[in-house]
Amino acid sequence: MNAQKDRVRNVNENPCNMCMPLGAIVPFKGIENAMVIIHGSQGCATYMRRHMAEHFNEPIDVASSSITEKGTIYGGEANLRQGLDNLIRLYNPRVVGILSTCLAETIGEDIVGTASVYQQEKGHSPVPRLVPVPTPGYGGSHAEGYFKALVSIVATLCRKTRKHDGINVIVPHISPADVREIRRILELMKVNYTLLPDIADTLDSPYTKVYKKIPAGGTPLEAIEAMADARATIQFGETMDDDLSPGNYLESKYGVPLHNLPLPIGIEACDRFLALLQTLTLNPVPEVLQKERGRLLDAMVDSHKYNREGHAAVFGEPETVYAISRLLVENGIAPAILATGSAKGHLPYLLQQLTAECDEKALIMMDSDFADIRRHCAGKGINLAIGSSDGRLLTEREGIPLVRLGFPIHDRIGGQRILSLGYTGTIMLLDQITNTLLAAKYSHYRQDLYQRFYPDRPSSMEQ
Amino acid sequence: MKDVVNKIVDKYPASVFKNRKQHIVLVDHDTEEPQTITANTRTIPGIITSRGCCYAGCKGVVIGPIKDAITITHGPIGCAYYSWLTRRNKAKLEGNETDNFLQYCFSTDLQEGDIVFGGEKKLKQAITEVVETFHPKNIMICSTCPVGLIGDDINAVATWAEAQYGITVIPFSCEGYKGVTQSAGHHIANNQIIKKIVGTGNREVGKYSINILGEYNIGGDSWEIERVLKKIGYDVVSVMTGNGSVENMSNAHKANLNLVQCYRSINYIADMINTKYGADWLKVNFIGLQSCVDSLRDLAKYFDDPALVARTEAVIAEELAEVQPIIEKYRPVCEGKTAAMYVGGSRALHYQYMFNDLGMDTVLAGFEFAHRDDYEGSDVIPFIKEDADSKNIESLHLEPDEQKYRLFIPREKFEKLRQEIPLNYFGGMIKFMNNGSVVVDDINHYEIDEFIKILKPDIFCAGIKEKYQIHKMGVFSKQLHSYDYSGPYAGFKGAANFARDIAMGLTAPVWNMIQPPWKTEPMLEGYYIKEVV
Repeated sequence: MNAQKDRVRNVNENPCNMCMPLGAIVPFKGIENAMVIIHGSQGCATYMRRHMAEHFNEPIDVASSSITEKGTIYGGEANLRQGLDNLIRLYNPRVVGILSTCLAETIGEDIVGTASVYQQEKGHSPVPRLVPVPTPGYGGSHAEGYFKALVSIVATLCRKTRKHDGINVIVPHISPADVREIRRILELMKVNYTLLPDIADTLDSPYTKVYKKIPAGGTPLEAIEAMADARATIQFGETMDDDLSPGNYLESKYGVPLHNLPLPIGIEACDRFLALLQTLTLNPVPEVLQKERGRLLDAMVDSHKYNREGHAAVFGEPETVYAISRLLVENGIAPAILATGSAKGHLPYLLQQLTAECDEKALIMMDSDFADIRRHCAGKGINLAIGSSDGRLLTEREGIPLVRLGFPIHDRIGGQRILSLGYTGTIMLLDQITNTLLAAKYSHYRQDLYQRFYPDRPSSMEQ
Repeated sequence: MKDVVNKIVDKYPASVFKNRKQHIVLVDHDTEEPQTITANTRTIPGIITSRGCCYAGCKGVVIGPIKDAITITHGPIGCAYYSWLTRRNKAKLEGNETDNFLQYCFSTDLQEGDIVFGGEKKLKQAITEVVETFHPKNIMICSTCPVGLIGDDINAVATWAEAQYGITVIPFSCEGYKGVTQSAGHHIANNQIIKKIVGTGNREVGKYSINILGEYNIGGDSWEIERVLKKIGYDVVSVMTGNGSVENMSNAHKANLNLVQCYRSINYIADMINTKYGADWLKVNFIGLQSCVDSLRDLAKYFDDPALVARTEAVIAEELAEVQPIIEKYRPVCEGKTAAMYVGGSRALHYQYMFNDLGMDTVLAGFEFAHRDDYEGSDVIPFIKEDADSKNIESLHLEPDEQKYRLFIPREKFEKLRQEIPLNYFGGMIKFMNNGSVVVDDINHYEIDEFIKILKPDIFCAGIKEKYQIHKMGVFSKQLHSYDYSGPYAGFKGAANFARDIAMGLTAPVWNMIQPPWKTEPMLEGYYIKEVV
């Protein structure tokens, strides 16, 4: 079985994932008027802000409880409480996410207890809703941190009152542009929905005359509370274990039926999403979306010969890797190496099912790093890499062109605006993939032909 | 202005108000006593600081740029990932060098089980794997928070690995929670460099031998500085640590003088070399044309050789002839504009010289992790009270090395020279700034907002965490940590680059398009009154 941890190595060389609290910040950035405080050494918050700011090209405000050596001996609760006081005073948020770190978890800080006592004690004054999420850095990758935060958010904030006909839509870590596309589709389908987390405007905020410290947008608190009474949940989170699935939580606790789908990338996944929306709402798929589907089909036909030459290495968060792999398979691109830094979840099983019929056996790598990925790329005829900007080393060292997608994009601008969802987003992504293959082809095919037909002549035509 | 500062801190709860007030100084050179500031104290929790941790200062800043060492971050994956090429230090192989590991990132990637049962075994195995794959001559081990807490003995592992593989393995206990900022990490890194590296080499050095300390080769800065120094005829023994190598640093004790660029991050090494090996240090600043010229002249003065002085002047003239016209071209765009700066521990001062060259005033400047001496100058050091946090960071007490200690210039001459050039002395930032300008230590997001509204600077230089916030307020921001992928900014050619980049930023067409036409066109306001006939 090739889905095992590929290496018996102990050193992680050029990591393919980040740590839990970073992933857990993102969902809170998609809640209206929310802030995050990280309970630990201030470097955690600073490093994560830095990495997120460079990707989103947006200010990323994350507070820290700034534990020092004293805190490691006497406990950091006082720091956390003071941090909450100051954060609330300066930002006046309605929701505050409290994330723990390696440091806090190792010294045994009880952020859940502290949050509940704080909330009770200050009950007389308006205190934001506190959502503690234990996220030790050694507890998993940022992908798990993201979903763990979502589970904590629904578990802490949702409450049952009166049934309504709204539909919950829970999205994994996708770009703000992708979130906007999902919203557009939902609106075209006339769905009454709550999308969580909604980073469409908060992490890609338009320039406005007046600068707001907490950017406008995000899922409103009331809407999250009401998710317990929704008619159904659509979650794009097939790869996550049940305990990291907010949709599962809503289903088992409140009986909200869960429809777990792959991200709508590629025609099949988009069709499934729209078919489900049609079933749930009984609304027809509008002409505009049908035309977009037609254009995607047309694009697939246009590019199929070129795509068939592709041998791709895909890396990133499990949900993205799965969706991209599906896109590759339905376009005849060989999904040769499928890797994630995550060690958990259903991804290996899903990918095995998906690639069972492929001509070439796909190499599925969990808990991977770029040293592994690069080693396996060598000699495999890989001519396409798809994933975060950390894959640039594959271009620099192995000459494999990289289609940038996912998180983080640090060496190019506009990571927040990359659109790859829905029929339209798929067209954009697919064109980019095909064009990357074509660019490589055009750069050397004359030379290749020349050498094939005139093997004895000087190696270059330009002589 | 005083009222304004009060208004800004008024919003804080009482204890925070009291604290933050002490970190803000309205520069006034006419006071009887020199002005003081509070710095290097604990960050207020929850206030959105930009400060980093001890690990960031040690691995990220000082150790990270060393090319011929593999740095293994011992801890969970995040810390290694976040410090992977984050600072844009550049390095290339020179001469016979064979090792450049800067592109790589190594971590022991500790998991929950390792936290419970200890991570030493995993660290040993990681070292073994790295040795087998890369055959490095040097390995650095940097600790993260949980490693210190669970008590992994990285010193013992380093000793084991040195014996096992016959290479240099240096442990850095730079757990993130130590100290109050990155600064603690600088100190820890400095200590180990002195203990384990400096003094172990024995290359013959030239007559005008120097080290460049506190220069990290962001965007190629140290290459430009070295180019000029070598052109004059200096033998640059080592750069700490931009484009640096253990190999070169091992000979650092042989140099006759240390140049200190970033005082904050490396002053410990400058002092320790002075104590142990005798070499003096000179505070230089290679940011800005005039300051380059001044620094080069100060340097020539120290070596006091007419040929060197003449050569220095010749090179200065040659360099100025090339870049002065470029600066003059951009100067009209910049002249009269104002700048604000919030950068690490020395750039907020160094770039004021550059802005002066461009005819710009600095209205606000602040450091992230500075100590009082960075603001007030070396004179204040004896009066800085040690607190629990600074006491936790080891200060090495060194004695002069019996064999290697030597004084390059006699002390009488040294005392005389000290009156003319900043020898073993740093003046600090406040002295350089104009009356009425503001100095803010550890400024936070809220205060940046407020100060921008009040001071309305034309440019606010900071880092990436601040950049987008500043841009959203309609103010041009230049990153002075990574230079927004530009640079070099140091030296003569760097000054030209900087002038060009600032002029480009200030004149970017986008700043004129913020107001849409339907909002700028005057709208007629009035009431239509129906005439009653």
